[in-house]
Amino acid sequence: MAQRNLEKQLNILDYALSSLWRRRLKSLSVLLVFAAVIFLLASFQMVTKALSDKAREVLVHTPEITLQKMSVGRQEAIPLAYRDRLAGIFGIRRVVPRIWGYYFDEVRLANYTVMGMAVEEMPDGARLDTALASGTMPGPAGQGLVAIGQSIKKALALEGRTTFSLFRPDLSLKAFEVSGEFSPDTDILTNDLVVMNLADARDLFAIPAGLVTDLCVYVANPQEIDTIAKKISETMPSVRVLTRPQIQKTYQVVFGWRSGFGSICLLTALAAFVILAWDKASGLSPEERREIAILKVLGWQTSDILVVRFWESVIVSGLACVVGMTAAYIHVVYFAASLFRPVLMGWSVLRPDLHLLPRLAAGDILLTLAFTVIPYLAATVIPAWRSATVPADSALGG
Amino acid sequence: MMRNRFPEPMRPALVFALLLCLLLAFDGALFIDGLARRKAEYATLAQLAVVTSGLGLTDLAVATEARYTRHPAVSDPVAPFMDHPGAIEHFPTGAFWLPPSR
Repeated sequence: MAQRNLEKQLNILDYALSSLWRRRLKSLSVLLVFAAVIFLLASFQMVTKALSDKAREVLVHTPEITLQKMSVGRQEAIPLAYRDRLAGIFGIRRVVPRIWGYYFDEVRLANYTVMGMAVEEMPDGARLDTALASGTMPGPAGQGLVAIGQSIKKALALEGRTTFSLFRPDLSLKAFEVSGEFSPDTDILTNDLVVMNLADARDLFAIPAGLVTDLCVYVANPQEIDTIAKKISETMPSVRVLTRPQIQKTYQVVFGWRSGFGSICLLTALAAFVILAWDKASGLSPEERREIAILKVLGWQTSDILVVRFWESVIVSGLACVVGMTAAYIHVVYFAASLFRPVLMGWSVLRPDLHLLPRLAAGDILLTLAFTVIPYLAATVIPAWRSATVPADSALGG
Repeated sequence: MMRNRFPEPMRPALVFALLLCLLLAFDGALFIDGLARRKAEYATLAQLAVVTSGLGLTDLAVATEARYTRHPAVSDPVAPFMDHPGAIEHFPTGAFWLPPSR
């Protein structure tokens, strides 16, 4: 019995495949459009997943608490004297001041991220040399020494040279010497960085003594981050307190379907399905009605015709899904999402080499299937049922 | 009994199954290559961890055009609209990055 049933399904599958092949131009165009829609959705999902995964993995090492001073709704320099006010809060292990900001290079029209801090005071600061492709990190005594990211090296065209200059706000030049170069493997974090000591950053940005950009606070017991953050907010209400969990959370929600580009991908897919469903639901062509009528005259049941239509839909949508998702994976992994780069990086002049490797879970594949294959099946089976119940004589007679 | 001079054509279901197998084998090759890449990625993860904690980094350096897409985690939410009252956000990367909800 099972053998017979299997043979019947195989025969129906043969018929469905021949029927698709008979209308190969139409079938192929539906398949291609369908695969393109799935490619778009899956590429967006894979890029965002790869970036969020990377952020989740590395941001567990971000400072436990970051303090910024807010004034008139904007961030401004925070006085170093605030450190003394933090001294009264029990549980704080260390407070490290940093000066950091953006340097706009008017010649190359690029934004550099300049960071000045005493790296030896940071956790793992002594091990930073291991993340360099060459040279060493600038120490506290290293006046004018910097460690730079790969894109800075390219932008400044430092072939063989180790010196360059940047403008202070009063347009006087400040000379720097490259003491180290970050490894290309850390590009996703260090691509546009120019790291120097606190005094050099203060000099470059002309920040008055006693002021810094932010304070990194490290606590003795990581379980108490939220409690200590609350105490800091109560002691200094004008300070914005960012905790490690908040920063990590930002990266889990920052790439989402609600972002402009995400919505465009989703709406495109939705529009394609609406057109497809409308085409299918608006009735079958006279040839298709004729075919169904002939099949019924030959003794096919309504259920058999439905099974044929079901197989046709499964073949088209399943194949489109496999092709679309494979193409999306190749696009993201081997071409570093090159179609999305104009939006992902916009007018950025310094662009990191993205090595994206999405971790595909069964849930993600199911999500894409649920968005694409299931609506297609629903959109094709219902009109097929409507036409399959048409009496054979009326379809042939017309 | 006469022997058929031409081999019987393969049934369509078999052709389709072969095509599907070919596609799945290709996907399998991609998966195996993915495993090798994942291994290489784990090796660089230690370096990324050292850089993050050693410099106190808070953000990925993906989009460097605007400060709120370079450092979305530490920029204030009003940053995209602060050029003048009523200003709209105008950088292309702003379309990719969702404003953090705080």
